Amino acid sequence: MERCLGIINYSNIDKNFGVLCKPRSSYMLPFGGRYRIVDFALSNMVNHNIRTVALYTGKKFRSAMDHIGNGKPWELNRRINGLFIFPPQFDDEIGALEDIYQYHKTEDFFLRAKEDNIYIINPNIIGKYDLNTAFKYFKDSEADITLIYKNTPCTTGINIGCLNLNFDSKGNFKNIGLYLGTNREFNMFLETGFIKKEVFLDLVRRTMETGEDLDLRQAILRFKNLYKINVCEYKGHVENIRNLKSYYDANMRLLDDEIFNKLFFEGGPIYTKSKDEPPTLYGNMSKVDNSLIANGCIIEGKVENSIIFRGVKIAKHAVVKNSIIMQKSEIGEDSVLVDTILDKEVIIKEGVNLIGSKSSPYVVEKHAIEVREWN
Amino acid sequence: MKNDKVVAMLLAGGQGSRLKLLTKNIAKPAVPFGGKYRIIDFPLSNATNSEISDIGILTQYKPLELNSHIGIGGTWDFDRNTGGLRILPPFTSEDGGRWYTGTANAIYENIDFIESLAPKYVLVLSGDHIYKMDYNLLIKSHREKSSDVTIAVMEVPWEEASRFGIVNVDKDLKIYEFDEKPENPKNNMASMGIYVFTWEKLKYYLNKDAKDKNSKHDFGMNVLPLMLKEGLNMHVYIFKGYWKDVGTVDSYWEANMDLLRKDNPLNLYDKDWRIYTKNRNLPPQLIKKNSIVKNSMINEGCIIEGEVYNSIIFSGVHIGKNSKVSNSVILSNSCIDSDVTINKCVVLENVIVHSGVNVGSTTSDDILIIDKDLKI
Repeated sequence: MERCLGIINYSNIDKNFGVLCKPRSSYMLPFGGRYRIVDFALSNMVNHNIRTVALYTGKKFRSAMDHIGNGKPWELNRRINGLFIFPPQFDDEIGALEDIYQYHKTEDFFLRAKEDNIYIINPNIIGKYDLNTAFKYFKDSEADITLIYKNTPCTTGINIGCLNLNFDSKGNFKNIGLYLGTNREFNMFLETGFIKKEVFLDLVRRTMETGEDLDLRQAILRFKNLYKINVCEYKGHVENIRNLKSYYDANMRLLDDEIFNKLFFEGGPIYTKSKDEPPTLYGNMSKVDNSLIANGCIIEGKVENSIIFRGVKIAKHAVVKNSIIMQKSEIGEDSVLVDTILDKEVIIKEGVNLIGSKSSPYVVEKHAIEVREWN
Repeated sequence: MKNDKVVAMLLAGGQGSRLKLLTKNIAKPAVPFGGKYRIIDFPLSNATNSEISDIGILTQYKPLELNSHIGIGGTWDFDRNTGGLRILPPFTSEDGGRWYTGTANAIYENIDFIESLAPKYVLVLSGDHIYKMDYNLLIKSHREKSSDVTIAVMEVPWEEASRFGIVNVDKDLKIYEFDEKPENPKNNMASMGIYVFTWEKLKYYLNKDAKDKNSKHDFGMNVLPLMLKEGLNMHVYIFKGYWKDVGTVDSYWEANMDLLRKDNPLNLYDKDWRIYTKNRNLPPQLIKKNSIVKNSMINEGCIIEGEVYNSIIFSGVHIGKNSKVSNSVILSNSCIDSDVTINKCVVLENVIVHSGVNVGSTTSDDILIIDKDLKI
């Protein structure tokens, strides 16, 4: 694969995740017991030999700085190329928060880079994209821009509001719209694809010159007639994490062997920051059923259909069901948690009952302490 | 500033022949332990946590896996601009090549390396012990007593004292006698094979010992007794806590099982004294429906569909439906098919135990080792 720059594009959807995104951006949400959502984008790129990666962090970037650092877990701490982190610049110029403005401000980086092509990904849409095949298609078809989509059946309406690629009668790219549930299937735009570097820079300049506040997708659509845009279908598994419900469901789906294997093993491993946790200890009273459990936990209670992150303690007689328990949270004796998400380092004291629902899980904020209230 | 630089020398060349198949292809310090670690991770992590910045690792027996495990020592923060970790295998020179013939000889052959770092103290460690120890306390005690040599000891039960190298001391903890496996021990302080030397003294006696044709060039047998005879100032440092030299398959199995005891003194979950090991980038463990896991330790990347009791399961192990694993240690990437019963076994790495196999007895105390060909 000819060398390609990678861009991880921050998408501004944090408000859909409630208190979970108070301390972090949505791409930094903990996922799958020991990962952050962005680990998939980073790992997939390095697994496909992309050695220069730019991360546009968005405003809340402390958690990203701590987790990603110099990019060592992905071996992006290189002398040549490697990881470039671009926090936003707050100027009084126009369009200060849209991504185009940030690309404009970092134009030097693109001019200096030796790569002629760019791969852009929205980290909130998780997939193990086969970039070699897609890139070959992009090159062979001599496109300026190749957009990647997935043909997705939708019977429950869960995908309403996702981006939909529209084709003309010949099957060529026409436009990007919203999926509103009219058909039983649609072409979900995965907000990832390839673009020639010169086209990218041209697009950024044109947009800045018009003075309109556009993001990259809007800019592509505005100037679509100037470029050759085509599409490439991805057929693998995708998780589009765009709100609390889809975040919860995506975690729960990892309990399915097939999806677990697809996301974690096929097409290369997922790298993340190591915490050097010891293996997990299961006590004599523990009863664990259908759960994904990370290292460093001490489990004495009952766990069912749940995702347990690193270093969690679950005391005896506690029950955790259909829940996501993030790093270093502690659950006291006789507590019952159903359809609940505990953010990091939450302490649940003895005898607390927290019950949410599958469509709207009960969420406890980072560092919170929940005690039983006596009547 | 006063020179109080410490260089650690970690002896990692041991074969550990009594561990049988466990050390068929690897040195004893590379033997996997505790679901995730290799034995050498313990002294290495102790050194990191004690903020020791220079360490030499003396390798000899089948070093391939050990070398690839250690690498440049990044796992333990030993990948430094100055100092850090060096692997020191035996080497040839203008007067021929030599294997390390004993513990003291291994250090003697690397006098140049230690001299280049110009330390005040040399800490001699063994790569095949499992324990957590703050070496700073040991060195502090050495410094406070203005000792030439300090030996870490631990108090063993009196009835077992005759199995150990016992150190006899006066009331100020000054050593006056070594008593190797005494029939009638006067003391219950057993040497742990961990020493601090003032480098000038050690260098002198290593040179002296090297000239002695009758010497076996071993610290315990030759160098330390010689130092005592010549009146050096030698003390003990009493270590309290868990320490185990896993010499045999039985004690290897026991040390693993110790981790599952309620009163387990080797707390791996202590955030202030982490044990570090190479990261394998595996996903969390998937515990499937209708599986049972009781009193066990399980590492990343496992898929458990059967029953696991009182066992240590390393990374990437698959345990199939209706299989029952009890009182066993299963090393990385092994696969236990369905309908298998395993009791009191150590299953080596990358072993496939096929459906319907029943190994290990519930009546005997023997620990079986299962390798690729199901040889036991």
